[in-house]
Amino acid sequence: MSLDLTRRRFMAGAAAAGTIGFIGAPTARAQATGILTFGLSSYPPSFAALQNAGTAAGTVKLMIHRGLLSYDNAGQIRGELAEDWGVDESGVWTFKLRDNAVWHDGRPVTAADVKYTIETGAAEGSSAAYTTSLQLIEKIEMPDAKTVKLTFSEPFATAETLFAHYNMPIIPEGSDEEALVGAGPFKIDSRERGVSVDLVASDNYYKPGLPKLAGIKAVAYADENLRVAALEAGDVDLIEYVPWPAMGSIDDNPSLTLDVVEGPFMYLTFNGARKPFDNPLVRRAIAHAVKREDVVDAAFFGRGAGLAHLPISDASPFYNPQYADAWAYDPEKAKALLAEAGHPDGFDCTLLSTAQYGMHTSTAEITQAYLSMIGINVTLDLPDWATRVQKGNAGEYDFAVMGTSADSNDPDGIARLIDPALPPSFARSINLDIPQITALLTEGRSTFDTEARKVIYEKLEGIAIDEVPLAGLCWRAQGYGMSDKVSGFKNLPGQLTFYSGLTLEETALS
Amino acid sequence: MLAYVAQRIAVAVLMVWLVATIVFLLLHIVPGDPAELLLSTGSTAPDPAAVAALREKLGLNAPIYVQYWDYLTGLARGHLGNSLQDGTPVAEQVALRLPRTLELIVTAALVATAIGIPVGIRAATHAGGITDRLASGAAAVALSTPVFVIGTLAILLFAQTLKIAPAGGYVAFADNPVRHLGLLILPALTVATPLTAVIVRMTRSAVLEVLERDFVRAVRARGVAPRRILSRHVLRSALVPVVTVTGLELGTLLGGTVLVEFVYNWPGLSGFLVRAVDARDYPEVVGIVLTISALFVLINLVVDLLNAMLDPKVRLSA
Repeated sequence: MSLDLTRRRFMAGAAAAGTIGFIGAPTARAQATGILTFGLSSYPPSFAALQNAGTAAGTVKLMIHRGLLSYDNAGQIRGELAEDWGVDESGVWTFKLRDNAVWHDGRPVTAADVKYTIETGAAEGSSAAYTTSLQLIEKIEMPDAKTVKLTFSEPFATAETLFAHYNMPIIPEGSDEEALVGAGPFKIDSRERGVSVDLVASDNYYKPGLPKLAGIKAVAYADENLRVAALEAGDVDLIEYVPWPAMGSIDDNPSLTLDVVEGPFMYLTFNGARKPFDNPLVRRAIAHAVKREDVVDAAFFGRGAGLAHLPISDASPFYNPQYADAWAYDPEKAKALLAEAGHPDGFDCTLLSTAQYGMHTSTAEITQAYLSMIGINVTLDLPDWATRVQKGNAGEYDFAVMGTSADSNDPDGIARLIDPALPPSFARSINLDIPQITALLTEGRSTFDTEARKVIYEKLEGIAIDEVPLAGLCWRAQGYGMSDKVSGFKNLPGQLTFYSGLTLEETALS
Repeated sequence: MLAYVAQRIAVAVLMVWLVATIVFLLLHIVPGDPAELLLSTGSTAPDPAAVAALREKLGLNAPIYVQYWDYLTGLARGHLGNSLQDGTPVAEQVALRLPRTLELIVTAALVATAIGIPVGIRAATHAGGITDRLASGAAAVALSTPVFVIGTLAILLFAQTLKIAPAGGYVAFADNPVRHLGLLILPALTVATPLTAVIVRMTRSAVLEVLERDFVRAVRARGVAPRRILSRHVLRSALVPVVTVTGLELGTLLGGTVLVEFVYNWPGLSGFLVRAVDARDYPEVVGIVLTISALFVLINLVVDLLNAMLDPKVRLSA
């Protein structure tokens, strides 16, 4: 098999044209200057490279690590440690590594490192975010030190988004669980748990002239008001997770910039083991009963938009306009569905959310208020986040509020939120029996032709609208705030917002 | 006196053990599994096998009484245990963060006593006057305003609007002394505000009470100068309850600076406790609470000894 046989995106010629400067020794690096202070929304609970440890951890990992692929500022897949990649007709993916890609300690990045990363993530008992996907890789071949061929047990069309995810970086062979040595633009200098992480520019980064900063001081500001105050007072240069009430003041401040995208979203999940939530008619009734504008106003100060279908953006080629308002606010329809389900007078139930985060609490309160109008008497269960997570994983709830972002802008990026066949998780509904969704997700993942995939996901969304594996409530604006001294940082579009740490390599301070 | 001190120490040790035990048990009763939490920080499902493996590794599969016994025997060897989050010794974390909390509290106490005692004395000696009324009014406002409101307003005014102080954060004194002190000012003043109010009120009422006593009247009748009466006779008695209350307040502040540390991102021990509870990091929570209780008890002991030095009657009753 040759790379010449690849059917799509082979060798990313266009990308290579734009990144020709990558070739060559990293000695061409310009003198990096300035230490950027980055206000994180929390201290990363873990630095484990392959583990999903939330947004702040993702941002720090994007400073330290690089994967085979990543995204450019427009949200398009680009080569990272892999300069060429493609898939052949038998579904074997081949990645050709850059010659000048090296680890922080100077060793070259090799195919053996990629193999080690995949095997570590796929190992039984691994806590990697993508263990299930990695376990589909049944053969890893290394024709030479810079080439890796991956044979999946079934065709795997979404390998690009998998290997572009920030929870799927490549780590050096023999790394321990944390894997703090990476091939990214910065390396850890020191850290204090709960407080800050100090990073310095890597001398070995493979992109000439990058990073532009001499270092980053990532400081955890768990209190969102202080995070904003620190930005306004000039204590920090850049903050993530700008709180929604503060977006206006940052936007109006001439010395600050607010970079906002809509991508992350809020939704309801259901426990099919608790009656009447096993009934899709009830789930649909709930989906029709909530006025989404009020959720946007109450929880996000108007910074967002209603979401009355699956979280697939209208900018996506997989967007299905006929479903745009499929779960639109319609109390009469909701009542009719409840009556059809045998609950004309409603019922009593408990909604799980958390008091720890205002957006979750407000969303729950609005949902409670609207459901009361169709006779559903909701009691709120608002424990701290730790308890909410445990209750969600254990299925100790009737229905629940959740907020997140998809893994990518590809429709398969929401698979982990709607596939009822996956193991229990607080992030998705539990005990639902909708095998058609699992089957269509699998089919979509194994289909390489975009047009054919569109048909599959359209069918999937139609089924999801009826079965309601999740009830979308609203898109929320996700913002970064920065001082006017900062240039080059970019909030990546849509669901990729949490990948924005990628652009820290191009960020400079004036 | 020695017997009294020995008895107090024995009771103190018992108290600290009780607190540690109660916190240990309570933490195991509340929902939230540390292993699951450590693996559930993103929105991806933790693999049950991974959770089980982590529980085993952290020793959480053992029955509670075994964990408790291990913990007690560890304590007896002077080992506070290791963090479940990153395996670092709890004692190391406490040693790193406790001085920062103490620095905040001690600075606040110095500011509060430096302001509170003179103002309280002045209010008492000029009872009903403008100073008294202003001080009483300000103390009432300071006591009824939650510290996080004071902190937030201070940040809004001094950091965001006037831009004359940093909003929060921490830099080690050794790294940058000026920046360190700059970052200390607002949180210390915030902690000091309610403490100052308590000291003003306490000093005022204690001085007033002593001023009414017969021996003061007698001294005054002998024609001794008021300033001398105050310094020689009144303050010596009046400061006993002030010292007691200030000491007790300091103990309370050890746990009570949580909100101030949170609001100002001051990386002390109190704020760290909140994060440890969030993560259900059992050894860390118990270790921190144990440290705080021990200090609280120690401060009480010191206060009693100080009182005994100031007032012989305390010694006699002991």
